[in-house]
Amino acid sequence: MRLHVLHRTTFIYAGGARDSFNELRLRPVDDDTQSCRSFSLAIDPGAATSDYSDFYGNSVTYFDVSLEHTRLMIEARSEVDTVPDSERRPLPTVPISDLMSCPEREMYAEFFTDSHYVPLEVELWREMQDALADGRGDVWGDVLRIGGHVFRTLNYRTDVTGVGTRATDALKLRAGVCQDFAHVMLGLCRCAGIPARYVSGYFLNPGRRPDEIEASHAWVEAFVPGYGWASYDPTHKRTADERYVKLAVGRDYADIRPVSGTYRGAPTRALQVEVIVSNGF
Amino acid sequence: MPPLKIPPARPQATVMLSRVAHSLYWMSRYIERAENIARLLEVNLQFLLDFQGIDDAGVKEHWGSILASSGDDELFSTLYETADSRTVTEFLALDLRNPSSILSCVFTARENARMIRDQISVEMWETINELYLFLKAHNTAEIWAAGPYEFFRDIKRNSHLFQGLTDSTYPRNEGWEFIQFGKLLERADKTTRILDVKYHILLPNATDVGGAIDTAQWQAVLRSASALEAYRRFYVREILAWKVAEFLVFSDSFPRSLHYCAVQIDDFLRRILDETGARPRSEAARASRRLLADLQSLTINDVLDQGLHEFLLEAQKSLDRIGDEVVQTTMFYPAETDTEQQQQ
Amino acid sequence: MSIISKSYDPSTFYDEMFRPGGEIRPHYRRLAERLSTLPETEFDQRRAAVDLAFLRRGVTFTVYNNAEGTERIFPFDLIPRIIPAAEWRRIEAGLIQRITALNLFLHDLYHGQKILKDKVVPAAQILSAKHFRREFMNFSVPRDIYVHICGTDLIRDHDGNYLVLEDNLRCPSGASYMIENRAAMRRAFPNLFQSYSVRAIEGYADTLLKSLLHLAPHGADKANVVLLTPGVYNSAYFEHTFLARQMGIPIVEGRDLVVRDARVFMRTTAGLVPVDVIYRRIDDDFLDPTVFRADSQLGVPGLVAAYRAGNVALANSIGTGVADDKVIYAYVPKIIRYYLDQDPILPNVNTYLASETEDRKFILANIAKLVVKSANEAGGYGMLIGPAATRAEVDDFRAKVAANPRNFIAQDPIMLSRSPTWCDRSLEGRHIDLRPYILCGEKTIVTPGGLTRVALRKGSLVVNSSQGGGSKDTWVLNNDD
Repeated sequence: MRLHVLHRTTFIYAGGARDSFNELRLRPVDDDTQSCRSFSLAIDPGAATSDYSDFYGNSVTYFDVSLEHTRLMIEARSEVDTVPDSERRPLPTVPISDLMSCPEREMYAEFFTDSHYVPLEVELWREMQDALADGRGDVWGDVLRIGGHVFRTLNYRTDVTGVGTRATDALKLRAGVCQDFAHVMLGLCRCAGIPARYVSGYFLNPGRRPDEIEASHAWVEAFVPGYGWASYDPTHKRTADERYVKLAVGRDYADIRPVSGTYRGAPTRALQVEVIVSNGF
Repeated sequence: MPPLKIPPARPQATVMLSRVAHSLYWMSRYIERAENIARLLEVNLQFLLDFQGIDDAGVKEHWGSILASSGDDELFSTLYETADSRTVTEFLALDLRNPSSILSCVFTARENARMIRDQISVEMWETINELYLFLKAHNTAEIWAAGPYEFFRDIKRNSHLFQGLTDSTYPRNEGWEFIQFGKLLERADKTTRILDVKYHILLPNATDVGGAIDTAQWQAVLRSASALEAYRRFYVREILAWKVAEFLVFSDSFPRSLHYCAVQIDDFLRRILDETGARPRSEAARASRRLLADLQSLTINDVLDQGLHEFLLEAQKSLDRIGDEVVQTTMFYPAETDTEQQQQ
Repeated sequence: MSIISKSYDPSTFYDEMFRPGGEIRPHYRRLAERLSTLPETEFDQRRAAVDLAFLRRGVTFTVYNNAEGTERIFPFDLIPRIIPAAEWRRIEAGLIQRITALNLFLHDLYHGQKILKDKVVPAAQILSAKHFRREFMNFSVPRDIYVHICGTDLIRDHDGNYLVLEDNLRCPSGASYMIENRAAMRRAFPNLFQSYSVRAIEGYADTLLKSLLHLAPHGADKANVVLLTPGVYNSAYFEHTFLARQMGIPIVEGRDLVVRDARVFMRTTAGLVPVDVIYRRIDDDFLDPTVFRADSQLGVPGLVAAYRAGNVALANSIGTGVADDKVIYAYVPKIIRYYLDQDPILPNVNTYLASETEDRKFILANIAKLVVKSANEAGGYGMLIGPAATRAEVDDFRAKVAANPRNFIAQDPIMLSRSPTWCDRSLEGRHIDLRPYILCGEKTIVTPGGLTRVALRKGSLVVNSSQGGGSKDTWVLNNDD
């Protein structure tokens, strides 16, 4: 599927801001599920940018604006070809014991241990046991059960959690947005010993729920031996198919912030985010 | 004992960080400010004591003029109901809500000194710290009970000690220039305000001009600038308004006169901004040259024709402009503002 | 009566000066002779003079735990610790070997990670290490040197063998005290230096500056080197100002620096002056709010971008903390063998890893007899000395280890060597360690001696300044006595 994404972020300051230093993770990845055909970045006020690849292979753009400005707008446009669903490899059935003994698992240790937003606290352990109450099966099967469990257990609500909410807090509140759904699912997978990572990106959503914000989206990828990283979206109870565009991966939200930086000056009065995902040639 | 092998200094080691210049400048300005206020209060309290016969309205008018000339009258009226010796003393000496009270000034001076502690001598630090501790330990009630003059004398003494130690222990480098520059700007500014005090007191009626109160008020003006004895040596005879103004504005030998300070300010300014040419390059140097030119060429009659008060206000504005410009160009660093975070 | 005439009990520990029978070791004989001719009153006077000098010169450090952060003089004992040349040669070789291997290790971790793929060090240990800096992956660093300044702590066991206790690869401190201590000894005992041929350490600042200049992106000639400090509130601030002055370089705080176009500048009264090398005494976490902790006010936004662009060099490099993690410490002998194909010259202290199942069982069962350390604490905090702890402390630690095994290691308590130290009215043995400083520039240079730290409290094994430690001058001789 060919997808077009427009992602515009505007910071409006209560006065003047200067010496602004920022990092962006807004460029879709190239991997076996998608290729990024074109990408452009517009920044206002204008700034010179430099790029690098971070530890997870995400493309990062760095820029700074030293002169005084009252607003900062960052606009990313990309064109991505996603591999059609029909052409995607099927998932193998791998017993859990194989996962635990497979040689690569060790290299993914950071994906099944504590992370900033997902410390593996006792509440997550208990919830995992609930989710897998019928016993362990195969890796992907367990992931699906966990994902389904998160979908059923959490309510999608935009007004209860914030950008700093951790997995256990969202679980206690039984509510959150896609970021929280993803963090909780990560917590459960990790407690179950399955390496799982956070994915940021977008998806084409013609049937948008009235209360669903059009913004970037978050889901999860779990490691399945013999396959690699298999994705699942717990907010919508489905795999991330050809309608999904991947931006970045990491341990949790802290690793993939689309826009993150510091500046000196007046506080931010408003933050506007617009995401438009469309398809077609 | 084998000598410590000191490597040749890197050329950049002699540059002065903006932040350090900033702290030296403000440390110096605030100490000078504190000393000036102490003197102002002491002299004027004494004046009112000498004229016990002045009624309440007179006292209020007198203090009102002090507050007006220092630009603090608005703030004072939001914090206090009436202006009498006690409230004004509290406001100008110990009220932390007043950023220019003696206490506030010393606190700020000490904070700045602490930030650059490794730049100043141990003696300088200890002196300013002792002054700070001394002030912290007092409240208005105690001061009134003990007699305020001792209090002001201690402040002046410590401030003089600090300036003296600076004079004898601080190396004559770029830091020294900033210290002197700050002190002189403050001093010049305060002289204009001391002189302006008399303006805000209604002119005495015809029978009072030259009378006891009028003369005593001018004497108080001179005392506030520690200038009474110097004035007498210069003018010998009676104290006349225009002579006091002339002395405090134009004298080229009295250290607190506007002219004297302007000469020094211009000199330090050239060094700080590296203005070696005949024509000034910066706004600050331009303003300084103009001020100096006026003080070198005008006469007291020119000033009185223009209006003493107006002249003094203009001088204050020039001094402000000079100070602000230098702060912006040389001492600028993002001190007060922390970095804000933004993310999405 | 001289101080040395009173009876001294070396006890069962290895004593630096006295053999078990009471005989004085050859390299201490001249010292003992000198001290025996010195009346106690005069010794006391010299001691008092040294203390006063330290006070006046402000040779202090600040203690964090107190309410107000008080400044303290680092107590100094006048009896030096003497190391004969032959002993030092071995230490020096061992330290050079170790830092060489660690630099190669760091380069590998932040590039190909071969050592992890070859399963010599478990990947999980690295990836879950607090100081493994992902942001630093694939960076190229000047001259491929990661650790430019290293402080490795050595102890001696019951038989007098030197063992490595830990490496300090981030912001090792104490070099300023080493220099001040030597100056103090020269003032107190000028004649002693005539009897002994002691190797000089006064060139430390010079060597340090040279290794910093070695990193300058555009050559050493006109390079601007600065020392970046967190500021007056930092406990080591004295050392920061001391070293900056000794090297003749500016000392700056984060807010004095600004990054423009991925280049670092310092704000001066003459405008922006470019900065080429930064000797940073700020932890990675606080270095750049754009990349690390966003709430840090101590760092410089954009610094990492400038570093990545090759426009500025940092010493020590980012990410070195992963190699001085106390758990990784246990793998260092293997690391030396892996990169250098050599056996370690200086052995580790035998260490049990709570993250390994068998070791964990052993630790939990024997915790009251072991020294247990938290992987990432410093300054002697987060540590349990089993044999000296209360029942409650032991139970508390047992629970901590069980809950978070990755974070703990344990070691058999070592009977640290002791050195005669003047305690109030008599010479008594006190436990000591040794922190030599290693500078990696064009050459790797180990400063002869270093800081000998003393646990001043009777029976205590904790030598850190913040917990009642003191120091001695360390003499490495040109000969063997």
